[in-house]
Order: sequence, then C-alpha cells, then structure tokens
Amino acid sequence: MPPWNFPLQKLFTFFLLVLSLPVGGLLTPPVAAENTITVGSKNFMENRLLAELFAQLIESRTHLKVARRLGLAGTQVCFEALRTGGIDLYPEYTGTGLVTILGEVPMNEPSAVLNQVRAQFLKKWDLWWLAPLGFDNSYALALRRDRAETLGVRTISDLVEIAPSLRAGFGYEFIERQDGLPGLQGKYGLKFKEVVGMQETLKYQATANGDVDLLDVYTTDGRLFVYDFLILEDDRHFFPPYDATALVRGETLKRYPELASVLSLLTNALTPERMRKWNLKVQEQGEPVTRVAREMLQDLHLLTDFKPSPTPSQQQNSQSLFVYMWNMRGTLAIRTGEHLGLAGLGLLLGIALAVPLGLMLERWRKGAETMIRIIGMSQTIPSIALLAFMIPLFGVGTLPAIMALWIYSLFPILRNTFSGLRDAAPNVVETGRALGMTEWQILRSVRLPLAAPTIMAGIRTSAIWTLGTATLAAFIGSGGLGVPIVAGLQLADVNLILSGALPATILALAVDALLSWIERLVQPRGLEASQ
Amino acid sequence: MHFTTESGIPVAHTWELEARQISKRFPGGTYALQDINWGVKQGDTMALIGESGSGKTTLLRLLNRLIEPSSGTILIQGKPAKNQDPITLRRRLGYVPQDGGLFPHWTIRHNVCLVPQLLGWTADQQLERLNTLLPLVNLEPEQIADRYPIELSGGQRQRIAVSRALAADPPIVLLDEPFGALDPLTRHDLQEQFLSLKTQLHKTMVLVTHDISEAFKLADRITILKEGRIQQVGTPQELLKNPATPYVQSLIESHESA
Repeated sequence: MPPWNFPLQKLFTFFLLVLSLPVGGLLTPPVAAENTITVGSKNFMENRLLAELFAQLIESRTHLKVARRLGLAGTQVCFEALRTGGIDLYPEYTGTGLVTILGEVPMNEPSAVLNQVRAQFLKKWDLWWLAPLGFDNSYALALRRDRAETLGVRTISDLVEIAPSLRAGFGYEFIERQDGLPGLQGKYGLKFKEVVGMQETLKYQATANGDVDLLDVYTTDGRLFVYDFLILEDDRHFFPPYDATALVRGETLKRYPELASVLSLLTNALTPERMRKWNLKVQEQGEPVTRVAREMLQDLHLLTDFKPSPTPSQQQNSQSLFVYMWNMRGTLAIRTGEHLGLAGLGLLLGIALAVPLGLMLERWRKGAETMIRIIGMSQTIPSIALLAFMIPLFGVGTLPAIMALWIYSLFPILRNTFSGLRDAAPNVVETGRALGMTEWQILRSVRLPLAAPTIMAGIRTSAIWTLGTATLAAFIGSGGLGVPIVAGLQLADVNLILSGALPATILALAVDALLSWIERLVQPRGLEASQ
Repeated sequence: MHFTTESGIPVAHTWELEARQISKRFPGGTYALQDINWGVKQGDTMALIGESGSGKTTLLRLLNRLIEPSSGTILIQGKPAKNQDPITLRRRLGYVPQDGGLFPHWTIRHNVCLVPQLLGWTADQQLERLNTLLPLVNLEPEQIADRYPIELSGGQRQRIAVSRALAADPPIVLLDEPFGALDPLTRHDLQEQFLSLKTQLHKTMVLVTHDISEAFKLADRITILKEGRIQQVGTPQELLKNPATPYVQSLIESHESA
C-alpha cells in the first residue's frame, strides 16, 4: 500500500545497475601472484622498450611469469611503485638516481655515480642497481645544424653570449630537474630569451620548423637520425652520466636469484648507436615495442627460439581510423571495460560515502558548511597530482586510481544530497511534523523523494567527472581508455589517440544520457508540472 | 466532564487547552511570549490575533510541541503536554498550515489519509473516511482523490488541508492563518464553509489570524496579543463593548471602518 516507497525503490534499482557495471572491468590481472615478476617502466619510449626487453628475456630464460606495468608517469611514480613493492624492477638511469631520487649534486665520473647510487639505494631501501647495459642516455642541448653554423656555436659555452636572443623548447621534466635546466643555468650562467615547456614529440617538430631555436634531447633518441641536429658539446661537464640498467628490489632478487643472472646477460650489450636505432623503430616507424624488443634479443643472440613475426610493420599508419579501431576492437573492449570499472567503482564508493554523509550533515547543520568546503577542496587538486599522491599509499595499478576517483566523486554528490534535503519543501516538512510523522518517516517519505532528483543530478555530475578523470589513470598504470591516449601522445599517432578518446567521449555521452533518464525516473509524480 | 490539576485538586474551571505561566525566550534574550495564562474551553473556537511578532504563532506551536516553552506548563485536555509523547500528541491535534502544506508528490487520497495511515487504519477504513470527508468540504472524491496537489486550485488545496486535519477525527484542530493566502472571494467561500463545519463538528479550535474581521466572523472568543503579552481575551461582544487597552481599541476601530 504505501506508495511513498516508489522513488526510493527506483534509486536502489539504479544502485544495483551501477554495481553490475564495473564487474567486467575488475577482471584485470591482480598484482604479484606467485612466481610472477612485475616489470614497470616510465612513460617514454626508450624506457618502455627496455622494460619490455627485460620482460621478454625473463620470460624466455626463466620459468617466471611477467606482469607489465608500462608507462607509469615519470620517475617519482615509478620509484615509489618499486619502493612499495607495486613493481619488482624497472629500467633506471644512474644520473637520475643520483640527482632526482637522492637529491645529490651531479658528478661526472660514471663509475663513481654508479657506486654512489648503489651504496645509497642498498642502505636506504634494499634496492639493487644491476650492471649497466652499456649506453649512457644523457641529456644534451641541440640545435638545427644550419642554425648552429650560422650562429657559430659548437659548445654550450659558445651559447652563453647569444642565449638572451634564443627561444628554447624544453621538456617539462628537464625544466624542473636539478640535472636539467636549473643546474645548467647555474653552471654556465645561461639566460634564454624564452623557455617554452613542450611535449617530447612536439619539441622536435618545433625545432625543425624554426619555432624554437634549441631543445633538450636524450643522446640515444632515435629521432636524432631523422632530424639534422647538432649536439652541443658539454665542455664544462655539467650533465652527469646516465648509464641505463635495471633497478631491482632486493627482496625479489633473494626470492628469485635466477633473475640477476638472466638480466646480467645484458651487461654492456647495448651501445648508444644501437639503442638510437631501436628507439627510432619505435618512435618514428611505429613498430610495436613488443616486436622491437624481440628483435633486440635476437640481435644479441639471447633468444634461441626466435621466429620472425609474420605481420608487416608499416601497415597501421595508412589505415583509416574506423578500420584501425575495428582491428583493435578486442583491446578497445577490454579498455572500455576497465574504464567503466574504474569510474563505476569510484562513483559507487562515492555514493556510498557521500549520500549518508549528506544525510548526517543535514542533521548537523553547524558543521555542514565547513565539512562541505573541506571536501570541496579535494576538487581543486589537479587530477594527475591526486593520482600521483595515491601511489605511496596504495602502490600502482587499479587500487590507487579507484581511490583517487572516489575522492573526486564525493563533492557533487555530497553537496547535492545536503542542499537537496535541506531545501526540500521546508513548509511541507514542518506540516508532516505537526501532523505526527516521526523524523524517520519524514526523511523516508518526504525529504528523500523530494530530494531524489537533486541527489541524482549530483551523481550524474560525478559520473561524468570520474569518467573523464579515469583517462588519466593510465599514467599510474591502471589501464582504461587513457592507455591508447597516452601511448598515442608519445608516438604522435593520431589514430591511436582517437581510438582511446573517441570511445571515452561516447561512453561519457551514453552514461550522461542514461543518468538523465534515471533522473527523470526518480522525479516524483506531482512535481513534473511545477518544474 | 471532570478534570483535575496536577496536584489532584478538582478545579471549578476546566480548559481543553491551557497555558500556565508560559514564557518563551529566544536565544539572544528577546521574549516571544511572556507570562501567558490562557485557556480554551471544550468546543470553543478561539482566535489568536496580533501583528507578526506578537507571539500568536509561537503560542500555537507550543500547543503541539513543535517548540517547547522556556518556562511554564502547557496542558492538553488537562494533562501536561510535556509528559505526553509528542508524536502521539500531534496525531490527536489536527493541523492546517497557511499554504495548505500538501505533500506535492502524494495524491489527494494519500495526503488526506496521512494520519489514519500513521495510526494504522485499514485501507477500507481510510477509503470510507475519505468518502465522508471530501463531500464535507464540497469536493467530489471520484474526481479528486487520485490527482496531485499541483493540479488543484488554491481554494481546493486549502479544503484538502482542512479535511486532512479532520481525517482521524481529532478533538482539537489548530489552524495557522488557514485562509491567509487566498483571494478574497475564495476566502469568503471557505470562511462560510468553516462556519458550517464548526456547527456540525463541535471541535475545539485555535485559529491564528492577522485579520480582525475573520476573527470576529469565525471565533467564539478572541485573544489579542501584542509583543508577547495578552492584551485581552473575550467574546467579540465583550471586545466591542469594553476594549481593555488602547491597542485593542484601535484594532476594533480598524475592523469597524473596514
């Protein structure tokens, strides 16, 4: 008989519906199963390639299984993941370990740097630097060759005088790092007319077009084959050596001693020239990292059972977007599932906390504004920063992303629940009380049904936010539709970017439409005409 | 009928509703009501009249314990209100707010049968009551029971509010400016109807209004309040003949000139 249950039942139905969505996305493999090594990498191509190389070597020469967490956002994220056990190893550079992680002054002697980081990392965190792979991927400054000749510069010292008339296009990390621009300016007394922060790929194009005069490069970057750039000599020896090698958890080495011997097969096996060539294949020729890594192992005679892979390489760039996406449909479906899972679970947890909290605050008006303002501040943290904050707490992967999305989803739901209940026809609420309804009856049969559309609108806003933010989860290795977007940005592959961005947009529109339909459904009859 | 005071001593004068030494102080120190001794006889309609801020609505809200007094005692049918469960008490006191206060997401049927439903009446009992009540306020049950408040006129909504207050047949009905928001013609109709209901039902009623003409027309006795104190209580005749204060005098003059 009591018809006042009607909108509430609808709300519950909706919760169940949302609950069923993320299940598909949660089936991604969990971290750290028995006999599984988790290999991580930073989000640039050489690092990915090295990580894939380690992974394939381990797979082919041991009985261990390998889980990959490639493309984590930068040194801090990778290192935190390693320290906290989210990953077992990743490719790192000695100079980065010294300057960025330990925060020490740059040094010049490669073996001194290696010994220093080895000693410190062991002592502080039980992390091991294996023997260097044989190449030094240092920073360097470069100009277009013709421009360098006109200006008559060969060394960084030559630059000092003319720098005030030059525009520099530098990577974001380079601009911040002590072993990058700040240290360089100190050592040489450089002062540029303007410094533009740029994404890796754009930086090369901008220099080639003459939009900027010089850029920072990695000395093993494959693009140095493509562009005719002159690398300036570091005549005052500022840049520390960046010998690449695997950085591994001591615990992992103890448990799987075979890991050290297998990875040591790569000691001094990679020269800078070879590395540049392989990088080029990935960066400019669009070959998949997995295939190039396999070719590398074959070149190094570390694979016994190598069979050339059948698919020709240069096919995908010429495909139309639709065909491309159709061929990728399997992966895209999984990514979409992951995406829905991340956003859905974050949202669901958000509802589970924010709605009861909103009810509570409505009873406790005094503290409500303060509380809502505090929660509101979480919205002002840039999403990528919030995601990064979660790494030390929850490691890498799905969990930190869900936690970050959860925090993000709280505010709109909380605010709407609170104000929806507070503003739900106060005179009618008073009448209910005067006629002898209990507070609980008023809440259940009057305030909640009248506030339902407002609460639903808050949930809808949250849903769109979490769906959008979930694309950034790729930066901390949580999967989702951000993965092709991030990879596509690094490769400057428009199709790859769109194959993530397009489904993400469609998903957001579809979810928005679904929720607006539910919003109308929970709108109590009798209110329609007044809207 | 026989009533006793708290101490058990029978008193000559028994009130259906009574306020003893009631004061209501708001945080900040101002008094909404001060030293009120006041009563309503069983079956009487008492009007509470005064300007906004006079304390008339505060007195009404003390009766059904929507607010509690700072000091003094409210007695409902001779028993101290503070000893009664407020929920049970309110279900025995009908209530009509100024704007009708109908639940916008409920049908008319659901609105009218609220208190019977809270009291656990069966569906049949509720339906029977609905079919008695709506004709009493000149509305057709078949036409109106399944509609929503938004689909009715202001006058119709106010009739529903009255029938809702009467639904569980309470001995006492509290009305807070029930006809204040209506246009003059509709107000006139509803006032006429109120009078006929009054003679049919013999309820004890307290009617808050700021309209002296309405008070004269509908009430058996009138309480005039100013700044939290009672100026005078009496029948319309008594007020006309012997206004106790200049304020009462001026109020009556405004009524006569209207």
